[in-house]
Amino acid sequence: MTDRRRINGPPSGTRPAVFASSLKSASGAATERPRRHRQPNELRKIFLKTGLIPSASGSAYLEYEPSASLAAARSSPQSLIPPSSALKLACTVHGPKPLPRSATFSPNLVLTTHVKYAPFAARQRKGHIRDASERDLGVHLETALRGVIVAERWPKSGLDITITILEAEDDRWWGDAPDSHDAPWGMMNVLAGCITAASAAIADARIDCLDLVAGGVAAIVSDDAAAEEGNSSTPKLMLDTDPAEHKSILSACVVAYMPARDEITEIWLKGDHSKASLGVDDSSLGHEALIDGAVNAARGAHTVLVEAVRESAERYAGLSNSDS
Amino acid sequence: MASSAPPPALTLPPSQFARLQPHAYLLAHLSPPAASNQPSLRANGRQPAQFRPTSANTGSLTHTNGSAVVRVGDTTAVCGVRAELLPTSDIASWSVSHASSGAKHRQNTTKNDADADADESQIQDLNLLVPNLSLSTGCAPGFVPGAPPSALAQSLSHQILGLLHSTRLVRAEDLRVWYQVPSFGGDGDMDVDADDEGQKKKNDGKEIKAFWVLYIDIMIISLAGNAFDAAWAAVLAALRDTRLPRAWWDADNEMVVCSETVAEATRLSLRGLPIASSFCVFEADAAAGWRAVIVPDAEEEKKIEEDQRRGMQRRWILADPDGYEEGLSQERVCLVVDREMGKTVIVKMEKNGGWAVDGRELKQLVDIAAERWESLKLILEQC
Amino acid sequence: MVAPSATLSVLNRADGSASYQCSSTGSNILGSVNAPVELPGRRDALKPEDATIEVFVKPGTAPAGVGERYVEGILKTLLGRVILGREKGYPRRGVVITLAIIGGESVGRGDPYLILLPALLHTALLALLSASVPLSMTFSATVLAVDESGQIRREPSAEDAATAQSVHVLAFSSKGHLLLNESQGSFDFDTWEKVRQRASAICHGTQLVSADGDVAMAEDVDGRPLEGTLRETVEDQVYRDYNWKINAA
Repeated sequence: MTDRRRINGPPSGTRPAVFASSLKSASGAATERPRRHRQPNELRKIFLKTGLIPSASGSAYLEYEPSASLAAARSSPQSLIPPSSALKLACTVHGPKPLPRSATFSPNLVLTTHVKYAPFAARQRKGHIRDASERDLGVHLETALRGVIVAERWPKSGLDITITILEAEDDRWWGDAPDSHDAPWGMMNVLAGCITAASAAIADARIDCLDLVAGGVAAIVSDDAAAEEGNSSTPKLMLDTDPAEHKSILSACVVAYMPARDEITEIWLKGDHSKASLGVDDSSLGHEALIDGAVNAARGAHTVLVEAVRESAERYAGLSNSDS
Repeated sequence: MASSAPPPALTLPPSQFARLQPHAYLLAHLSPPAASNQPSLRANGRQPAQFRPTSANTGSLTHTNGSAVVRVGDTTAVCGVRAELLPTSDIASWSVSHASSGAKHRQNTTKNDADADADESQIQDLNLLVPNLSLSTGCAPGFVPGAPPSALAQSLSHQILGLLHSTRLVRAEDLRVWYQVPSFGGDGDMDVDADDEGQKKKNDGKEIKAFWVLYIDIMIISLAGNAFDAAWAAVLAALRDTRLPRAWWDADNEMVVCSETVAEATRLSLRGLPIASSFCVFEADAAAGWRAVIVPDAEEEKKIEEDQRRGMQRRWILADPDGYEEGLSQERVCLVVDREMGKTVIVKMEKNGGWAVDGRELKQLVDIAAERWESLKLILEQC
Repeated sequence: MVAPSATLSVLNRADGSASYQCSSTGSNILGSVNAPVELPGRRDALKPEDATIEVFVKPGTAPAGVGERYVEGILKTLLGRVILGREKGYPRRGVVITLAIIGGESVGRGDPYLILLPALLHTALLALLSASVPLSMTFSATVLAVDESGQIRREPSAEDAATAQSVHVLAFSSKGHLLLNESQGSFDFDTWEKVRQRASAICHGTQLVSADGDVAMAEDVDGRPLEGTLRETVEDQVYRDYNWKINAA
């Protein structure tokens, strides 16, 4: 597999480093699974800033606050294996611009979304060419945004939204066996971040929208601590879950939500919540509860989004004042 | 602009003028009318030899062995270094080449220089450094995301690789994983190993079991001119930040394993600190020769220099051009310099695309690059 | 020093072509130029008042990769200043230059093509002349290596270049400007000035007047200046092409 347009590594390929501790510990690694220190309905802090990329019509940079364990690992590094990771992504919007000559006529704004992980974004090195999950994210993002933009204001125009993920969320704790609970849970967090950032970037590009759409994630997890003590694990609803902090996520949901209109433009629900709904004390942990949780998380992200967009608007007002 | 200007029809805000008449706009900034008493500044407010404010930040990406974010003005480069292992058993030609270089190794132990040279070529021969630069991040409107790397991205990647090789920045020794073959087993043990590897072994029993391969990926997040300087600074900062775990050959598992303890990890010991400075040449009369370019010969060229000294400047050498200035100039100069014991060493000097820069100008530029080296060194050391 | 040998108009179907034998690397370079041609499908990218120059470098053994893109960039920038793309018939059209490297050693990964660069430049120039593309000037180029003892070596082989302290490629216009400089390795400015002087002597035969006013003659070291060799190649070709006319007169 040689790519003539890139610089290739050794022809035989390379192997990621294997750590001695992960080799020995079939039972449990020396380091502990990171714990969730937040309340079930408490979100991680989001850093969101617009306009960092002046050559684009609109841009946003989003970063999640590192979890307590990651912050500790950063300040006093002990192990080379990071306990968890925190989402970092940059989003740019180019357009509205005329469609290429070859394109067919469109009465609406044609939206193109593109999500790409940096090769160093995840625990496994990512390829340079978009894989299925990245294309999948792009499609989800497009659905989320298409319902928000007032597309008929720009006939025959195109809008390119590009997201570069510099650091992704883990799908599971690194110490867990890959097959224990295999689902791309981290991708759902990434999608929520993409939606929020893209929304800010679109507002920064001054594209007319119905509302500021925000992404939120909620998940039903079976409580670790209880399970270890031997009690029957009671599934719990958690907002903004970091998959590295939970042993088993039963189901998760990500929504793109517009608070002002109370509308959902995109919903992605995954996992088995039949077990969860059979919980002992509360029978309402079905998908309804999950969606409500995700909507609540999106409301939280929305407050940050509003702040970032206000900042962008103020910057723009300042610019146009100095121009005239 | 004052709101009292009577005919509103012809007043253009500066930003519009800059877009309609870019050449005239920049020229007007650089050569203000003598009466106005304004200094000659670029459209972005910088002196011709002034670089943009630069900041660097390292180690913020979790899943890398070393990472850096470098901002030069509005150009932002993120670089992540990921180390992976290349076991020597995977290298097709290893047994042959190693046997011969091993022999050389022993012969030349007294001649350090020749020895170093022979061994350093391993980095190049085995492709141990893999830099790739990506511009398809939405960094500028011209680059289609998802498309294969543009010619610019490819040649930038190539330049970075070429510079990594020619400066020999990374030491091959840092990338080797050695194995001390236990000697207590006697001959039997040795023979088994020797058969496995299909190579002759020397009695001191040290052999290379694997190499670290450094994947150096650079994402240009925001592009506003002069991508090379920012990318190279990011590579340099990320390599300075890179920590490789202690690795050893685990004979039981027949694989290389690493220690996760941070205290045991080692940093790369880089050779020197080469720093890049780019320049472009802006010519006053570029648009004047609309049809035929009239080229002055070297004698007339001297006259232009005379004129310059008398204050009639016709061309300007602009340091660290932004995207706007890059679009208006054809001639580029790229210098990479290092300083050792107060002496400036040029590592790379490129000039192309015009005839304004010759020996005299290059000498000045080397001095400017040396100043830039001092300031960037401080920035890189603080991050 | 073996002078390079070149033949013009070797290809029948191209507008212009040249074959160039590079003695130091043992490669033969075949260049073809098609100009002016319509470039289909890229109407948006074409400059309205200038020709679009495209350069393709094809290595002999391997498919073209990242390194070739880089050399193409260098050639394109240099030729862009030499070709008069605003002449009648050229704006909004293309000048397509293809250079194929035949034989010689293949260029390694990450190598900057320095030792082949002068040969590529000369081939491109001769092919352009053969295609009668209007040029503002001609040029000549050379490559020099400086070894550890400070000795300057002209047109080094691949091994010499690998062991040298620094390698320099310089191109001078027919009017004496420094058009291109590609230096790498580690060196100081004084070394470079010596290299420049020597390169200028190789390309032009020294008319270079040093500071104290004497004219240093260095032709005996370097043989005939490169520029003259190139010029003669073209003159010979012109003489052959217009043989019918000259004889008739």
